[in-house]
Amino acid sequence: MEYKFPNDLKYTLTHEWIRIEDSFAIVGITDFAQHQLGDIVFVELPEVGMAFERGSNAAELESVKAVGDLIMPLSGEIIDVNKNLTDKPELVNLSPFIDGWVLKIEYSHANEIDELLSAEKYKQFVQNEEK
Amino acid sequence: MNNLKKTAFYETHLKLGARMVNFAGWYMPVQYESIIKEHLAVRSYAGIFDISHMGEFILEGKDVIKFLQYVMINDLNLLEPSKGQYSCMCYENGAVVDDLVYYEETSEHFRMIVNASNIEKDYQWLISHIGELDIKITNLSLKRSRLAFQGPKADEYLQPLIDIDLSKLKRFYSTHCSIKDSPVFIARTGYTGERGFEISFKNEFADIIWNELLNTGAKPAGLGARDSLRLEACYALYGHEISDTITPIEAGFSWLVKPKKGIDYIGKDVLIKQKTEGTKRTLVGLNLIDRGIIREKYKIYKNNNQIGFVTSGGYSPTLKKTIGLALIETQYSQIGTKLKIKIRDKLLKGEIVSTPFYRNV
Repeated sequence: MEYKFPNDLKYTLTHEWIRIEDSFAIVGITDFAQHQLGDIVFVELPEVGMAFERGSNAAELESVKAVGDLIMPLSGEIIDVNKNLTDKPELVNLSPFIDGWVLKIEYSHANEIDELLSAEKYKQFVQNEEK
Repeated sequence: MNNLKKTAFYETHLKLGARMVNFAGWYMPVQYESIIKEHLAVRSYAGIFDISHMGEFILEGKDVIKFLQYVMINDLNLLEPSKGQYSCMCYENGAVVDDLVYYEETSEHFRMIVNASNIEKDYQWLISHIGELDIKITNLSLKRSRLAFQGPKADEYLQPLIDIDLSKLKRFYSTHCSIKDSPVFIARTGYTGERGFEISFKNEFADIIWNELLNTGAKPAGLGARDSLRLEACYALYGHEISDTITPIEAGFSWLVKPKKGIDYIGKDVLIKQKTEGTKRTLVGLNLIDRGIIREKYKIYKNNNQIGFVTSGGYSPTLKKTIGLALIETQYSQIGTKLKIKIRDKLLKGEIVSTPFYRNV
């Protein structure tokens, strides 16, 4: 199976992607993750203003067959959520890196960014998982 | 996954890009491209399902009917040659060994199709009750392959390939015939809530029959769609709606428990009592009022007390909403009753609704 791994994004071992902007980060699940879940039919989003530690569950993505967690890749506060997913959860399948983004985080520990994976490293990890 | 069994269609599934999973010890396709697309294909034209993981037994001998009357809860007197019947085998306490379909080919020759996860248990259970009766049971599960061909266009698509008049094959009837010179057993049965057929044949014909069915335009559909289709149609899945702890009466199969006057059968005393007096638990249909997805084992509450649990739940691609089946205390089982379902740490609103959610057979 061929998956997309955009080079300008950071990744986690739990299959989130992160686009780092100046003081905030946009987060979604990777192409690999949406393929694994299959048709996504409901996204449970957190409330804007909630704060999470890195590693905690921030959103749930429900497919026909399974539930996937979106794990906070960085500690911080939720400053926006993709409300389009409420009526069109399938955007996560159709466009995981653009229209299917899930959260915006105002991150509180910039040093955590250094621990995120590059596209190359994440791709290697996925290829090992596929074996 | 290395010790899993492979059906004759294993390579075919891989070529089609299926995601393979372990189901009851078999490599099976859960989906090819999209469960929703496969589901909707079956509702709008036709789908092909590999169901070769299911078990297939032949029961032969002078006492077959007498034997089945003793181990099955449904009444064999309702059968005639070529007709099939859905039934359950139960334990003495009324809980279910397995649910299955058998076809009377002749009064001394029956074909039985059982759940994949129960093949060995069923075979041993049947053998252990033969006693002095004249009956021989053969397990053909691995020697034959099985496909389901389901959907509103199943008749139209299959007719040009088959040497019988399908319009004469009534629901739950079966026959032996040929698909493009390959001998098959075919029955008008299914597990999707659509018109359609279940077809069984020797493994050597697997490729030719699959290709003929695929060329009709029908869409290969995996176990994911099979499950979402049967949930909409409210067909029980062993281990969920019925099991070795849930009786057919609790699961709403009162019609299946037959009086069979003058005939003793396993579980009869308990089941007839439950049928007459009712049970503490009842299977109901659920609609989720709040947004979310309900899944098996989620707990159900009324007035802060747990009153039951979800047996199967999920997204209905046909109705585009969340549906489920649940086993709850009978006193709360009236249609329209509002209740709460615990999803992770939240209690979401739900309502008891009439079933099935969808059927077009």
